[in-house]
Amino acid sequence: MNHASELRAPYSALRAAITRRHFFRDCGYGVGKAALASLLVGSARAADTPAGPLSPKKPHFAGKAKAVIHLFMAGAPSQLDLFDHKPELARLEGKPLPPEVIKGQRYAFIRPDAAVLGPRFKFARHGKSGTELSEVLPHFAKVVDDVCILKAVHTDQFNHAPAQIFFNTGFGQPGRPSMGSWVVYGLGCETKELPAFVVMSTGAGISGGAANWSSGFLPTIYTGTRFRNQGDPILNVSSPAGFDAELQKDTLDLVTDLNKKHLGVVGDPEIATRTAAYEMAGRLQTAAPELTDLKKEDKETLALYGADPDKPSFARACLLARRMVERGVRFVTIYHEGWDAHSDVAGNSRKNCKATDQASAALVADLKRRGMLDSTLVIWGGEFGRTPMVESNPVLGRSLGRDHHPQAFTIWMAGGGIKPGVTLGKTDDLGFHPAEGAVHVHDVQATILDRLGFDHEKLTYRHAGRDFRLTDVFGKVIKDALA
Amino acid sequence: MTRLGLSRLVAVVLVAWGSAPAGAADAPDFNRDVRPILAARCFKCHGPDDAARKAKLRLDTRDGAEAALGKPGDSELVRRATATDPDAVMPPPATKVTLTTREKETLAAWVAAGAKYDPHWSFIRPKRADVPKPKFAIRNPIDAFVFARLEKDGLRPSPEADRYTLVRRVYLDLIGVPPTPEEVDAFVKDKAPDAYEKLVDRLLASPLYGERWARKWLDLARYADTNGYEKDRRRSIWPYRDWVVRALNADVPFDQFTVEQLAGDVLPNATVGQKVATGFHRNTMLNEEGGIDPLEFRYYAVADRVAVTGTVWLGLTLGCAQCHTHKFDPISHTEYFRLFAYLNNADEPDLAVPTAELEKRRAEIEAKIAMLQPALDEIASDKNGKAFEAWVAAERKRAVKWITLKASKMDAGGATKLALQPDGSVFAGGDAKKRDLYTLTLTDLPAGATAFRVEALPDERLPAGGPGRAYYEGPKGDFLLSEFTLKVDGKPVAIAGASEAHARGNLTAKAALDGHPHTGWGGSGKPGVGSSAVFNLAKPLTAKAATLELLFERHYAASLGRFRISVTTADGEVKARDIPAEVEDVLARDPPDRVGARGSDAVIRYWMSVAPEFKAARDEIENLRKQLPAYPETLVMQERPADNLRPTFRHHRGEFLQPKEEVKPGVPALFGAKVAPQNRLEFAKWLVSPENPLTARVTVNRHWHAFFGRGLVRTLDDFGYQGEPPTHPELLDWLALEFVDRGWSVKKLHKLIVTSATYKQSAKVTPELLAKDPENKLLARGPRVRLEAEQIRDSALKAAGLLSAKMYGPSVFPPQPANITTEGTYGGLKWEVSPGEDRYRRGLYTFMKRTAPYAMFGTFDGPSGEACTARREVSNTALQALTMLNDAVLVEVAQALAKRAAAHGGDTSDRVAYLFRLCLVRPPTADEVAAIGKFYAAQKGRFAADPKRAETVAGAGENVVERAAWAATARAILNLDEFVTRE
Repeated sequence: MNHASELRAPYSALRAAITRRHFFRDCGYGVGKAALASLLVGSARAADTPAGPLSPKKPHFAGKAKAVIHLFMAGAPSQLDLFDHKPELARLEGKPLPPEVIKGQRYAFIRPDAAVLGPRFKFARHGKSGTELSEVLPHFAKVVDDVCILKAVHTDQFNHAPAQIFFNTGFGQPGRPSMGSWVVYGLGCETKELPAFVVMSTGAGISGGAANWSSGFLPTIYTGTRFRNQGDPILNVSSPAGFDAELQKDTLDLVTDLNKKHLGVVGDPEIATRTAAYEMAGRLQTAAPELTDLKKEDKETLALYGADPDKPSFARACLLARRMVERGVRFVTIYHEGWDAHSDVAGNSRKNCKATDQASAALVADLKRRGMLDSTLVIWGGEFGRTPMVESNPVLGRSLGRDHHPQAFTIWMAGGGIKPGVTLGKTDDLGFHPAEGAVHVHDVQATILDRLGFDHEKLTYRHAGRDFRLTDVFGKVIKDALA
Repeated sequence: MTRLGLSRLVAVVLVAWGSAPAGAADAPDFNRDVRPILAARCFKCHGPDDAARKAKLRLDTRDGAEAALGKPGDSELVRRATATDPDAVMPPPATKVTLTTREKETLAAWVAAGAKYDPHWSFIRPKRADVPKPKFAIRNPIDAFVFARLEKDGLRPSPEADRYTLVRRVYLDLIGVPPTPEEVDAFVKDKAPDAYEKLVDRLLASPLYGERWARKWLDLARYADTNGYEKDRRRSIWPYRDWVVRALNADVPFDQFTVEQLAGDVLPNATVGQKVATGFHRNTMLNEEGGIDPLEFRYYAVADRVAVTGTVWLGLTLGCAQCHTHKFDPISHTEYFRLFAYLNNADEPDLAVPTAELEKRRAEIEAKIAMLQPALDEIASDKNGKAFEAWVAAERKRAVKWITLKASKMDAGGATKLALQPDGSVFAGGDAKKRDLYTLTLTDLPAGATAFRVEALPDERLPAGGPGRAYYEGPKGDFLLSEFTLKVDGKPVAIAGASEAHARGNLTAKAALDGHPHTGWGGSGKPGVGSSAVFNLAKPLTAKAATLELLFERHYAASLGRFRISVTTADGEVKARDIPAEVEDVLARDPPDRVGARGSDAVIRYWMSVAPEFKAARDEIENLRKQLPAYPETLVMQERPADNLRPTFRHHRGEFLQPKEEVKPGVPALFGAKVAPQNRLEFAKWLVSPENPLTARVTVNRHWHAFFGRGLVRTLDDFGYQGEPPTHPELLDWLALEFVDRGWSVKKLHKLIVTSATYKQSAKVTPELLAKDPENKLLARGPRVRLEAEQIRDSALKAAGLLSAKMYGPSVFPPQPANITTEGTYGGLKWEVSPGEDRYRRGLYTFMKRTAPYAMFGTFDGPSGEACTARREVSNTALQALTMLNDAVLVEVAQALAKRAAAHGGDTSDRVAYLFRLCLVRPPTADEVAAIGKFYAAQKGRFAADPKRAETVAGAGENVVERAAWAATARAILNLDEFVTRE
């Protein structure tokens, strides 16, 4: 099948990939009656055929990355207190910014003329690259030569839910497919035992909700699968009490047997697809507990991440993400929400760095020593940045905080064909606007797709009268970030 | 058909359904063959969008294309299309768009035949074609059209499905649940020729019908029980859902159904029901995240309404024209905003919806209160005369004389309009913003004013009754007066101090003087309850004129909705008091009015509400009042008055922050409307008028899809140039006209469809049919489609005998793990499983939380309510398998089925057959009985060896081993493909 044309094709072609009956048509298979009949009543491994919507596909060109782990710092970390050191803010602390800087900006809580707040932490240079980092990122400092820091990222949205949805789907309102969905739609998945696109959450709540990992108008099979902290990691992955393994096996055998009988009568290949889905369910029931059993990891690795095998945490999620990628999962997003420092940005940053710094760095180091970093793209960042101005509000009990700042913020990427040890983009002396190397969220998305082997302008899907893509009608690959 | 003809047909079938290639003999058809090529390859740069047009060439109109078309043999268009020189070829290589050889041939053949342009098929009115006379037996004209096409293509209809399959199919399609074995037997045994038609009539009359079809409509309406976005709080709009169920059961004609939902509030003497119906477009989301710009999200909501109206009634992708003129369809950017203007002039209040039951309960309580009231009056008039006189005397000393000020000019910026009310108060209409500044010009100040009073007044037009205008994030009806500034000649007047009748925490009147916009006076904080604040001037004012500025600047819109400004010249520090102004006014009059026993009702009433003498009587009444049940509320539209219209602008690139020139309402020129509809009501009526060629077609097509799993036009939401052409154009037009002629009756349309031979065909697929028509476009067989999420749940509950017949009311919470709506969810919702029969209600009534939808429904492709869903995806996944195998609801169903099986008479085979029929309707084959019986026996043996496990599986009670084995068996049957599929 000409994969590139499938990706560009209108929705009929995509539908074609969904079920086997369409496969016969578009691929020219099954024209001979005998072949057709044998496929219909033969092996019920329809989902394993090249036409399955999740089966591995070739992208537009050979990509560097095979998998993505997106560490989504929901709530928006303060770039000014972690990465983007601005001594000028300390000098101006307590004074308003010049009107020409702030004109026309809308803010969530503060007035644009609020006073400047200086950096809350000490900064120092690290690694061969001599990258300046805040003291609350001691672990990240050790892997800084393996990552590419983007300091002048900007976005269109200044409220959490729309901005999170924007980062994940390229659009500020719910309804479009998420990055993970696009990637799995384009690349399929290596594993037949686990979901292709997994979502974990370790902080407070996620503002954008399920729209962040929704398949939007793509087929629902591309929706991210939640891995939960409480109860079954995947909903309903364990059999109900008393329904033991033998019963489960007998049940699947009976279901397969009767489905096959019925397929013989009505001839609809969709029945074979369903049987295959039950086989996959059976494999999931075995694979999920094996995946989440972190006791198999050695002590040194657990210590590297700072993960307790039995306690939900960001560290545990990072380690799970590595194990997932090892097992062929294509896209993992871990949401760590809690960075929304409207008050006490120092305390907030300290607390969230404590929860995430070690494990984020460990993930990079662990992937690297296992030889997986070259093919795994790690992305770390929030939905926007925080203001150089202070937020204080006696009614809401807030002081020494920072408001939402979409004009410039910092993210980092590592592995998967991203240039290591560089910092790209600069903000002005106030950390307010990009000064050079400004990149829009759509550019970041284009770059992620590029590393996976996609021309972001060609990874499209026909919906409601036009070809949609992750980057809307925008986006340029950040060439300087490519290894 | 010749051998050659057949092979050509197969080629067509396999390669290019619906777009037959240009044969050597016949000229290409413009609509079918040519426009799709031009639209897909050329219109982006040579289409309707002036801004994107290259080389001043447009190919979407004959005039625009004239020069490029040239003449046969000398056509620039053909030259460019077939050029090999990269500098000459069109589309240019840089666009990465290329023409296929077949497309080039088609264009050349079309130009050779004279390059005829025909209007797009869906933009001209439907025509009634002659009903064909195929050689196959037909039941109604639907079959005539379908079978004639089959005949033409060398196919033949499938035989009618067997009665078991048919009864299950028509039950599931019309009422959403399968029949019981008794209902099945009644039909199977009924040998009357009209047995099926009687069954159809019975189903159409069932109340379950409205529930089934409401769900499909709610997909389009993007219905949900929460507001969406970050906070995703609960909302009450289920009365709209119930309105839909009732309307569908009553077979309200679709034209009326349309008008009431789009403009019910504007109908003359609108009924409560017609207002409730306008909830259709109130199903847009509401962002309550801290610090948002509320008008921005209102703008998005209106944009969503435009897009949804386009999808549902016009089958047009209007949303594409939000940012720029439509790239393919003839809808300009300005025309988009003209449509926007129809939907942009409504306020969005909550409406209390009285129900008969609640009205009765209220009447009972009010009758009791009425019986207590005379006793109170009696005490007041006779026995306590002296106490009253004494109270009046004391109060007169405290009363301050206030003069109500009527501003000579009031301004609140563009979005809000301040209007003087008969009582001297001011009502703020229009849109509240995050920062509102009211400026009142006062020109009749009394000499020596010493204090100003701001009364915050309730008003039923305001959210939750006011007095503020907060409608999101904060409590409804909340306000925060950030700053009170009085200016004379532009200079602030010194204020000595402030007091208030009510304050919450530090939201005091003094805080409205501190210069900090986020602090201020917040009133009582109780919805529908007023308050007042008094600001004392540092020294008496000599000026006659002043300007009063009231600033409201919370992190959500919280300006006052109704207020009154008064001034006094009283000496000394005046304090705000918790006493109604009209009472104080009477008490302060000089010379005093007589306020004796019958002197002033207002004074007496107030005295009775505070005097200790009446506490006991008051408490009794108050207790009763507390029991008065509140009417449920629902979200509605309310057109703005003519003197306060909301202007609509064209927004550059569709961006909220870039309004350009103002536009007036109107429909796109493509419709050639003689008189443009002027307002929302006229627009709604126009949608269902014969002038609009689309609504009837789009509607019947969507219903066709519901029965056949695919539309006659496959792109249900796109009838424009980019949509797929109809497979059966004459049938689509015939159905559209028939639908209108039959009074827009949806039930009649459904009856027509389900009584057709086309619908009743067996769904069996032969390898030949599969090869020739894999998607069943030509309908040589019946439909076989997976059930929708709610149908799966409802079918399982019905099979188990658990399904509740209760209709209507607030949404319910069937079992699911509690962390679905809490873990990692910002606006967490505690999912408390509903007690009693609410646990087993139809899926329609399950609470829909947008950011964390009910898990089972999400797994089976149910919508989240975040966007209009014209067509649910149909997936087939491992997560679905896990749900069917392991979900708590399904386990409960299996246990209930086990009880039914165990209690059934006969031997194991009889019970297997019974269980099978409960779930799958048809009797099992001998093979199936044997396989299931063997499974049952094996499980029974294993459970007998482990009675504890048996009890876990079966639940406590008698016969645990047997029941556990039946539960395991029932679970297996529920997991068959057939259970989740309508055949």
